[in-house]
Amino acid sequence: MLIGIDVGGTYTDAVLTDGKDIIRKFKTKTLHEEIMTSILNALDKVIQGEYESQIKRVVISTTLVTNIIAEKKYPPVALILLPGPGLSLDCYRYDTFTQIISGAIDYRGREITSPDESEIISAGSSIIEAGYQHVAVIGKFSNRNNAHEHFVKQIIEKKFPKLNIYMGHNISGLLNYPRRIATTMLHAAASHLFSTFCDNVSESLKKRNISAPAFILKADGGTIPLTAAAKVPVETIFSGPAASTLGAMCLSPKGQTSVVADIGGTTTDLSLILSGKPLIASKGADVEGFLTHVRSFAVRSVPLGGDSTVTVNNGKIDLLPERRGPAYCLGGPEPTPTDALKYLGRIEFGDMSRAVEAMENLASVTNSTPRETAQKIVFQSCQTIVNAIEQMFKNWEQEPAYRIWEIMQKNIIRPDNIVGVGGAAGGLIPDIAKMLNCNSIVPEHAEVANALGSAAAQPTLTVTLRIDTEQGSYTVLEDGSGGPVNKSTQFTKEDAVRLARDCLLDRAGELNMKEYLTNVEVVHCEMFNMVRGWTTTGKIFDVSIQTPQEILFYMDQGESFNE
Amino acid sequence: MNKSNQTGLIFFPAFDWAISPTHPEREERLLYTRDQIFEEGLMDLPEIKEYKPRLADFRDIARTHFCVPHIKDQVLEAHLIAAGSSLVIADALMAGEIKNGFALVRPPGHHAMKVVHGNRGFCNINNEAIMVDYLRSKYGLRKIAIIDTDVHHGDGTQDIYYHDPNVLFISFHQDGRTLFPGSGFTNETGGPTAFGRTLNIPLPPGTTDEGIHYILDNLILPVLKEFNPELIINSAGQDNHYTDPLANMNFSAQGYARLNEKLKPDIAVLEGGYAIETALPYINTGIILAMAGMDYSNVREPDYDQRMFTLSPDRKAKIEEMVSELLSVWERRDSIDLEVLRAKSEFSQRQKTIYYDTDGIMEHQTEKLKLCPECGGYLSISSQAVHHGLQCKVLCLSVPFHGCHTCKEAAWEKYEMAVNRKTYDYVYFQDRVSDTYKGFSSEKNTAWEE
Ligand SMILES: [Zn+2]
Ligand SMILES: [Zn+2]
Repeated sequence: MLIGIDVGGTYTDAVLTDGKDIIRKFKTKTLHEEIMTSILNALDKVIQGEYESQIKRVVISTTLVTNIIAEKKYPPVALILLPGPGLSLDCYRYDTFTQIISGAIDYRGREITSPDESEIISAGSSIIEAGYQHVAVIGKFSNRNNAHEHFVKQIIEKKFPKLNIYMGHNISGLLNYPRRIATTMLHAAASHLFSTFCDNVSESLKKRNISAPAFILKADGGTIPLTAAAKVPVETIFSGPAASTLGAMCLSPKGQTSVVADIGGTTTDLSLILSGKPLIASKGADVEGFLTHVRSFAVRSVPLGGDSTVTVNNGKIDLLPERRGPAYCLGGPEPTPTDALKYLGRIEFGDMSRAVEAMENLASVTNSTPRETAQKIVFQSCQTIVNAIEQMFKNWEQEPAYRIWEIMQKNIIRPDNIVGVGGAAGGLIPDIAKMLNCNSIVPEHAEVANALGSAAAQPTLTVTLRIDTEQGSYTVLEDGSGGPVNKSTQFTKEDAVRLARDCLLDRAGELNMKEYLTNVEVVHCEMFNMVRGWTTTGKIFDVSIQTPQEILFYMDQGESFNE
Repeated sequence: MNKSNQTGLIFFPAFDWAISPTHPEREERLLYTRDQIFEEGLMDLPEIKEYKPRLADFRDIARTHFCVPHIKDQVLEAHLIAAGSSLVIADALMAGEIKNGFALVRPPGHHAMKVVHGNRGFCNINNEAIMVDYLRSKYGLRKIAIIDTDVHHGDGTQDIYYHDPNVLFISFHQDGRTLFPGSGFTNETGGPTAFGRTLNIPLPPGTTDEGIHYILDNLILPVLKEFNPELIINSAGQDNHYTDPLANMNFSAQGYARLNEKLKPDIAVLEGGYAIETALPYINTGIILAMAGMDYSNVREPDYDQRMFTLSPDRKAKIEEMVSELLSVWERRDSIDLEVLRAKSEFSQRQKTIYYDTDGIMEHQTEKLKLCPECGGYLSISSQAVHHGLQCKVLCLSVPFHGCHTCKEAAWEKYEMAVNRKTYDYVYFQDRVSDTYKGFSSEKNTAWEE
């Protein structure tokens, strides 16, 4: 038995499943201020005191960190930055106490200038004076050499033991200094609260005699053990869209290309599954205006949902990107696409007489019949979503590429299916599918797709190495660890992959994930000959390996195809 | 024409392509540049808009070059992408999506001439020229200036526009007596119909920021102002840098950034530059920031010392003398009386010997320009070279962008005559007026059109 729980902004849903059928499902409004209560309530509702011992795992997707950041409920974090030469220092202005100190590293991790001890001490005292407890230290190219960040941490810790120090290279080793700054700052901000949350969940599971391992869902659709999740709080943001994409994936045919449309009240979230693999955004997530290094699904949000307001503009139907309340047929103030669907008999819920009233009112000012008006609203809604889908494919095709094979290989791909979840999905998806000339899937259990997606998600792990045999060293981008390698020009791609495997094992140990490492795949392995004069003096390797991105099960949908 | 405030950028390092594993044009060339501009987060700046490369069409290449025997024999995917990237930037500029743009691409192109028998100076096809001719063909632009800031003479670009009065080509470079390709002297000033539209400034080795900015301020910028082009292109080599292993100049990243700030190119296209660690990461960051109108004052090489960049008095005197000589050429640019020349001969003719250093090919060319008072005249180039031990003789006919009916008919007649008589191995016809590009192989007795 598997349990999946998704605590979203509006709803919390949970499922208990054996991987073939849904044994029990539950959906309720989220208690915004009491996320723990929402989780435990949902958990209790699906277990009902009878399956505890058979539960193999529990996966939770939560908006906790998203909320902490959006509502600025975190403790303030001061920054100590070592940007060195490059972009103007004016570019590093943040809405928090920031100290820029000397010290610079180059792209190969060689020191350009060393940091100055007295500057570090004075930065520390001014941070104490300003009343901060948390400090993030981030250096440009600290992903290539973290000595300066360690040096700063050492001195600050010795002089100011009350300060908590977070180092940039531990948070992300990807290139992009401003994103490393933002990600480290958010990490420092959310760390404490999220760690308490994880402890509470563990505690509560224990109390319920659930001994199965528990996981948190991440934005990239992978899971991380609860016991290690506190190390990567920011990676758990935007797990909602990941959950709904995975849910739709497990409710649609395996290995195909699908668009997932999660049609909510005010927005429709679109994501893509390309030949069975969810599309990951090419750049890190934008978290409340902070550009970060967090890997997440590529999700496009369209400001159109079942409750969008419909008005008439110069005698023409117009869909506004805003919600003024529920649909008219559900007691709301304005006509909406939901009313049009109700009028056309495409949805069950709602008051038909109010839907008729809404369409008649619009029809009287558009010089058409109520039926034409309803059809027009549905058509325009579908058209908006179809345009966004086309744009999404186009953006994917237009993503920058840095290698010849990437440019030669990318074909134009169009979806096999559109999978709809959310209240208005049943009414709109078949029309959208016709416009896109693909299959329409509105699966059963769509209302708990997020919980199902969480239940189906698997642990994932990636390591990316930069190996520089001339310098005789390597670094792991994901956590800033590293070590020496042989200064030999005989180092091969096979050696690089072998080293990456060892690092993946180490990291799996660190994150309590060793038992899930059954199988790994090489994402890429690139080798650069370093030539100085006319002789090869070393090699640089960029190598990345990961556990395969798969879900645990697919549920057969039988007769749900419309065409 | 542009409302956008963004600078377009295509970064195409071709991480999977090299001329050979230890050649300066190898996978590693833009690796550290990638590291630097990605770590700086330049692609995230609201001032920057990143584009994806595309492949140029064979037609785009045929509009500029005569590739012998066929385009596919001279051009790899990497070349098509480097040229295509420049076209993406050109389209974005013309669509008003960007205010200017930089194609940070390899392989380079400025040594590729009109006729291409092989690779010279690491170049097979000329990215800037293909872009300029595309802009003229697709958008009807007329006057364009190309400023070549690479340390090597842009002999390929010069060759392509030598008889074109609508394209101003200015190259400054290390004196050809001390560096490949050994050309680019002050007396190379354009053909009879385009006199003064080619200007060369051969600089003494060791010329610094101060020297280069002297020619920029006193020659290039004033000439550009008078020429008043619709677009300015920077053929942006980076091998004037003080650490470049292939040349001996003394230019810095700050110097390059300031040059772009003053020159304000609409489009810059990367050319050479082989100090892949000590120069390229810094120069490219500087150029991108300068083109985006951002503060680049904090961009500097680790060993940068401002005192290294003042100019010695003897070099200064030499440069000042050249600038005044070239200014006087520019002043006299309209002084050639075509009728006087036409009285002697209908054609202006020159012989050229061209060496392809990478491929070891020697080419002998006779270039004849019809002295047409109406359109500048068509070109007829007969060329021969040895390919893989086989002598290959070709005839190339080229009608200019604003070619007149008479010239087009005359060029076509010559093409047909050569096809019928089979006196050449290959015959090519390039008509930019109707955008038609034809070829014929005598051996196979087949004709084709690109
Ligand atoms: Zn060069
Ligand atoms: Zn003519």
